[in-house]
Amino acid sequence: MPDHMKLDDSDRYNLMLALTGLLVQGDEYSLEELSKRFEVSKEEIVKAVKNIGYLDMAHFENPDRYVVDYDALDEGYVRISYNLENVVEDVPRLSSRQASALAAGLVYLSSLPGLAENEEIQELQTILSSGDSRGKTPEVIVQPGSKDADLLTIRQAIKLGRTITCDYLNLKGEMRIGRVIEPIRIDLRGELIYLKGWCPENVDVRSFRVDRMRNATLTEQPISDEALAAELDDEVYHPAETDTLVTIDVDPEAYSLMDDFRPVEEPQTIAPHVKRFKIQVGDVRNLGRIIAKFGGTARVLEPETAKVAVREFALKAIGELQPSAPEDAE
Amino acid sequence: MSDKKSGTIKISKPERLFNLTCALLYTRNGLTKNEILRSVPGYENEYIEGGDNSSLERKFERDKASLLHNGIQLEVSIPAHEDENNQATVYSIKRESFYWPKNIQFTPRQMALLNLAAEAWVGGSLSTAASRGITKLRAMGAIGEDSDIVGIAPRIQASDPSFRDLNNAISDHQVVNFDYRNPKTGEILTRTLQPWLLQKVAGQWLVMGYDELRAEPRNFMLRRIVSKVTTAKPNRNFSAPNLEQVAEAVAELDALAAKQTARIKVSRDSEAWFKYELDLQGNASSDEVTIHYHDLYVLAEELREYAGEVKVLKPEALIQLVRAGFEKVANDHA
Repeated sequence: MPDHMKLDDSDRYNLMLALTGLLVQGDEYSLEELSKRFEVSKEEIVKAVKNIGYLDMAHFENPDRYVVDYDALDEGYVRISYNLENVVEDVPRLSSRQASALAAGLVYLSSLPGLAENEEIQELQTILSSGDSRGKTPEVIVQPGSKDADLLTIRQAIKLGRTITCDYLNLKGEMRIGRVIEPIRIDLRGELIYLKGWCPENVDVRSFRVDRMRNATLTEQPISDEALAAELDDEVYHPAETDTLVTIDVDPEAYSLMDDFRPVEEPQTIAPHVKRFKIQVGDVRNLGRIIAKFGGTARVLEPETAKVAVREFALKAIGELQPSAPEDAE
Repeated sequence: MSDKKSGTIKISKPERLFNLTCALLYTRNGLTKNEILRSVPGYENEYIEGGDNSSLERKFERDKASLLHNGIQLEVSIPAHEDENNQATVYSIKRESFYWPKNIQFTPRQMALLNLAAEAWVGGSLSTAASRGITKLRAMGAIGEDSDIVGIAPRIQASDPSFRDLNNAISDHQVVNFDYRNPKTGEILTRTLQPWLLQKVAGQWLVMGYDELRAEPRNFMLRRIVSKVTTAKPNRNFSAPNLEQVAEAVAELDALAAKQTARIKVSRDSEAWFKYELDLQGNASSDEVTIHYHDLYVLAEELREYAGEVKVLKPEALIQLVRAGFEKVANDHA
């Protein structure tokens, strides 16, 4: 059962417009169907339908209204009849922002190989822009990221409920050959694609980065009951008791760190546009590359062990960047 | 309900907005503000004949904004014979601009894709717009179901604080100001921009628009904006760019990446080896690869992540940039 979103007043108004657009076509729907279709609770549907029935045009020499069948509503069915003319008679258009948010979402999806053909995405975008009330240029575009062939195999495995084997480069930089994963869900996170899967070796759900995966192969083995029953959340990283709490300052250029690592509490603004936050880190040695890549716009404040890790990473990098001697030198 | 007066019935905001929408759709010649306040449920029950209705008028102004944000185009005009009389301004909604074009139907598969596209924004800057948009589309026929589209949880990341403000300014055609840090010099300049478009290119959010300072279309990376995005003072609107202008600017950006290349040498079987897909390149004899880039500073960042596994061969500016970044980091953490 999907979680139902909490609606605010503007969402409810929007739902009324959409519901009216659907119901004026004359069909009857069960509350279950409508709740599923609009992904809102049945209570919200009932409230919206009642409000539609309250529409009152008496002041416009128009005594007609949308007539809600309340007996049917009590029994869990929604049906309206109407003899109003020139009010909401169809589904309203989208705002430019609504249209471009959906269009950008579609392009983002196209980074998953095989999910949707380019023509399919383009066709949908054309329809969306025709339904944009201002019919103007898109406001948001997302250029698709790189594609990955292993994803096709993973998607196939999820669809069929089967296990895969693959070679996987772990965080320590070791390539593990023939690792068994029971794929559950593909998580696209910004530029990165993770596979959430059941790992029989660790007897737990793990996140695998698809770009570190090679030779994904579909097996005949169905995924286990544990995998089917596994609870998934949105986190890629789960903190452990042994984690170190690290304090970091970032300039706007490195704000993305706050997306990549969930700060343990709300970040503070400590100077104009400088944010300070704390994250849980499993192994401070991994911080070197994470912080050093920003070239100065992210800074570790404490603990000292973490600062040392970053400094050493940078110094080592500089050392390795020294111009190497000509190859024929003695 | 029209026979019950003030106070007996509480009319909720969604209900009031719906009544307002229907009244504006129904009216032939438009309604003045006073006519609306006196006749549309949600206002009329609070309207005081001959009294002070200023709070009701403010409510109407807010409601107008709500309708606009939902993509409803309000027609606003003053009848010719009323000349400059603002009180005579009439409001209406043109039906052609209100409804979807006829005969558009989505297949279950298309709806499933659209549902997923909306889900990609959950928790992000456009989550509200995406969810309201998809709610309307869900009223258009098919339920989104496709056995091929399962087990995918997409999340577009767009958490730059300026994203929302820029997006609003694009919708409203408002000229904006912001402070922008030049990555090369570190110098901060206040820019004045007519924002056209937000786009994500190679992992970076950019705002494209007409830069009034440089008097040409320019791109700005959101993460280099180091101030709040504010509307220009005095408040100014610009006319929407035409499609050709935008397409041309987007094409220029693509051309830039096609033209700009760097050459790097990668340690065999390292993480960078997989990142740059040298294992898939076929000619396993070479450990060098050419990369196209939009922005040298972003590329330097990416390469610093693979320190020890990657050596920059050219251009020289990139070699210097990678090194200068590490030096700064070493000093910062001394």
